Amino acid sequence: MVTAVEIPTGNTPALTPARRGFWRNLWRVLRRKPTRVAGAVIVALFVVMGVVGPFLYPANLPTDPGNAYAGPSGSHLLGTDFQGTDVLALLVTGSRYVLVAAVIAAACTVVVGTGIGLYAGYRRGGPDSVLMRITDFIITIPGLPLLLVLSTLWKYSNPLTMGLVLGVTGWGSVARAVRSQTLSLRERGFIEAARGLGLSTAHVVRKELLPNVAPYVAMNLLISVTVYIYLEVGLFFLGVLPFNENNWGVMISQAVQNGVTQTGQGLAYLLSPLVAILLLTLGIVLLVDAMDEVFNPRLRED
Amino acid sequence: MRRTAVAATALALCATLAATSCSSSSSSSKGGGTFTAILTQIDSKAPINPYNQSTNSFRGYNAMMLGWSKNTATDPNKFYPAIAKSWELSPDGTKLTVHIQPNAKWSDGKPVTGDDLKLSAAVAYAEGGSAFAAIPGTAGGTVDVKVIDDKTVEFDQNATKPLNTWFANVMTMYVLPAHVWSAQVPSDIWDTIHTALTGSAADAKTAQDTITALGKKLIGWGPDKDVSAGPFTLTRVTTSEALLTKNKNFYDADKIAPSQVVIKNYQDNSTIVNLLLKGEIDGSVYVAVSQSQLDKILAVKGNQVVSGASPVQASLVFNESKKPFDNVHVRRGLAYLIDRAQVTKVGESSSGKASPYPAGLTAAQIQGWGVSTSGLNAYSVDTAKAATEFQQAGLKQAGGKWTLPDGKPFTVPIQTTSDFNDWTSGASNVAAQLQAAGVDAKVTASSDYATYLADLAAGKFTVSWWLTALGPSAYNIYQRLYGAANGWTLGTGGGVAHSAAGQSGNWMGEAESADVSGLGTVNPGELTNQLSQVPPDQQKQIVAKLAAFTNDQVPAIAMWDYVNQNFVNTNRFTGFPPNDADVLRQPQGVWMQLGYIKAKAK
Repeated sequence: MVTAVEIPTGNTPALTPARRGFWRNLWRVLRRKPTRVAGAVIVALFVVMGVVGPFLYPANLPTDPGNAYAGPSGSHLLGTDFQGTDVLALLVTGSRYVLVAAVIAAACTVVVGTGIGLYAGYRRGGPDSVLMRITDFIITIPGLPLLLVLSTLWKYSNPLTMGLVLGVTGWGSVARAVRSQTLSLRERGFIEAARGLGLSTAHVVRKELLPNVAPYVAMNLLISVTVYIYLEVGLFFLGVLPFNENNWGVMISQAVQNGVTQTGQGLAYLLSPLVAILLLTLGIVLLVDAMDEVFNPRLRED
Repeated sequence: MRRTAVAATALALCATLAATSCSSSSSSSKGGGTFTAILTQIDSKAPINPYNQSTNSFRGYNAMMLGWSKNTATDPNKFYPAIAKSWELSPDGTKLTVHIQPNAKWSDGKPVTGDDLKLSAAVAYAEGGSAFAAIPGTAGGTVDVKVIDDKTVEFDQNATKPLNTWFANVMTMYVLPAHVWSAQVPSDIWDTIHTALTGSAADAKTAQDTITALGKKLIGWGPDKDVSAGPFTLTRVTTSEALLTKNKNFYDADKIAPSQVVIKNYQDNSTIVNLLLKGEIDGSVYVAVSQSQLDKILAVKGNQVVSGASPVQASLVFNESKKPFDNVHVRRGLAYLIDRAQVTKVGESSSGKASPYPAGLTAAQIQGWGVSTSGLNAYSVDTAKAATEFQQAGLKQAGGKWTLPDGKPFTVPIQTTSDFNDWTSGASNVAAQLQAAGVDAKVTASSDYATYLADLAAGKFTVSWWLTALGPSAYNIYQRLYGAANGWTLGTGGGVAHSAAGQSGNWMGEAESADVSGLGTVNPGELTNQLSQVPPDQQKQIVAKLAAFTNDQVPAIAMWDYVNQNFVNTNRFTGFPPNDADVLRQPQGVWMQLGYIKAKAK
């Protein structure tokens, strides 16, 4: 008996329907709850702010020391900082560093954590032991103190460095969780069938296992972004990192150090980055709810 | 965020550095009560040892010196009596005879005698005080201490290489109880000291090693129970505060109003401001606050501020071993671009005044030393002059941006520390001004002051914040710019040697000499060294010359002169010193000794 297998040619847009399906599916999931739409809008706004925002302002924001700590007004919607710089401008131009670093860190965490988790869980044996010991080592490293020490060596002058350092030190728990799921999945029938067919490890991992752990990975990607924002803003707030970039953490640090919490003067300067972080976190949490349903068919309500 | 620590540190650096006579209402020195103060960081595990950096021996309270420096801008030899009731200095300045307060007693009732001073001098040798260096031939070194009688002691300076700073260095010697400390000091210590100073080379070396080892041992030691000749003794100390009780045996006990003093831990600026906002602090050392914080603090009932001149200045200093900052035209050009008044407004609005001239001196010091300002360049903001200077240095302007001769961007990396918010705010403003003028300036903050100083000394920074004009003596003032940090070190023979940039602690990297129009070739390190050796009238001429040299060569751009701002509260105590009183540069314990601070009548 001959079985005819249709092999897609290079000209066939084989993935296009799938991609279209993802976006259509996402839109359908989002519309189901207004909160999800709100989350997506918030996240989109911050992405636009990070990408386009800095282009709206001059590279060197103007100062006006005679107008320091001014409250919100028509000319300064969110007031001014300690040297009279517009807080909205600081917030917008400062968003890029924070967001880019957090996204790079989250991507790093997910890629490294998922890759190691899948491989270790599927291969088991020696590679699993070695990789999990490395993972345990990474997990046991106290993140914040390590970053404080590293800050004496690196200046984190760009978000790429910051993101990589955060990501490289934060993938441990993702790797462990993905490995656990993989260990469970590899005993399932469809994996055994794939192995029985003699499919390569790479194929099994990429085509069979990865789609099944994708929901977890996607959730982690988004949640990690918020975690890394807290972490990097915290580091800037503590004042252990250079503040040569406009940055939300620097704004909070400067506001507190200049006594805003004690005098109340320039409160908008302090609250603006805090509210921005809160809003972004809220947006991501709301979006996670939608993404969960998109990636996990069992949760679909239709 | 210890913004306050800048000046606190500065005042500490000023060797003996540390109010509206708030009320003329009826007051009493015997009213008792607890005086709450902010003085320094508290370490509950620290020894009661004034030489230890983390100490529970608080100057002016339970730690006493021979005298309290008035920190006069032009005469560092003016002192208030402390353990020394009076003194005579020989005309050539090499013999000091100290008369101990006749009623001086330790808190355990034993009298303060000449033996206490002699033992204290021995400990000073062990700890390596500048007037007590156990090295033969040290300029300005003490060569002998003689107990004339129970209440009289004579100190002799190295007569072949006398320094005019010796007297002040001896007067700021801590006085320790011999009957408590003598068990820690070998009985033959003075033989060892004399061998170190006058013995053969081999014997002197052995003796010096012995003294150094003793110093290392003593620095960590402290008695279990405080025995003080000051107005207070330490009763207990926790991580948050130290409690001191009035010493009834203090020679001027009648002048001391509080029955107790609580010294709160100098944790950070925020904590201090919160305490001030609660009205809980009766007297604090220098606290730099923003204008809004100041307004809020002064709105609290009883809170007042007393302020006076401070011999401390915040400056941007160049590491001239790094190009293009070795070029004087670059430094001058930058000086022309920075509006120092604006930087001061942003960085130190309430307790700083824009420095009028980059000359290594505060405005008060310029006035005090009678330096003619007609020849000094104020470097008022002038972009045209800046451009001329930059062009002379070979810099080019393209598209509004300044570039180096090779076309690379001209970058000014400014280093500060997160510990001092006035510096970080000021640095941000400097960067903003330079960026607006087409100079690519970036600010980076070290995580803490200790790291900052270590990296600074290692020559890692290019342009950094630095405290200058640290008086009171003219020598100390210019030693800050033309001392070890810039390659000039004092030799034992009284001369100076210059090390190349990057060696022997030289992180400023200035050339050993420079030609200055009207002055000729000037070696500022040698001139500075002369300040410690010549009488005041000659010092005046040297100060003028160094001011002109500094103003021309701009090794540092002075941003602001600190104002010594002390907060007091008149709810419980009154009779604080008036504004501009020299005693403001000493801790409140000294104020009390001098008759200030009375309990408020109820």
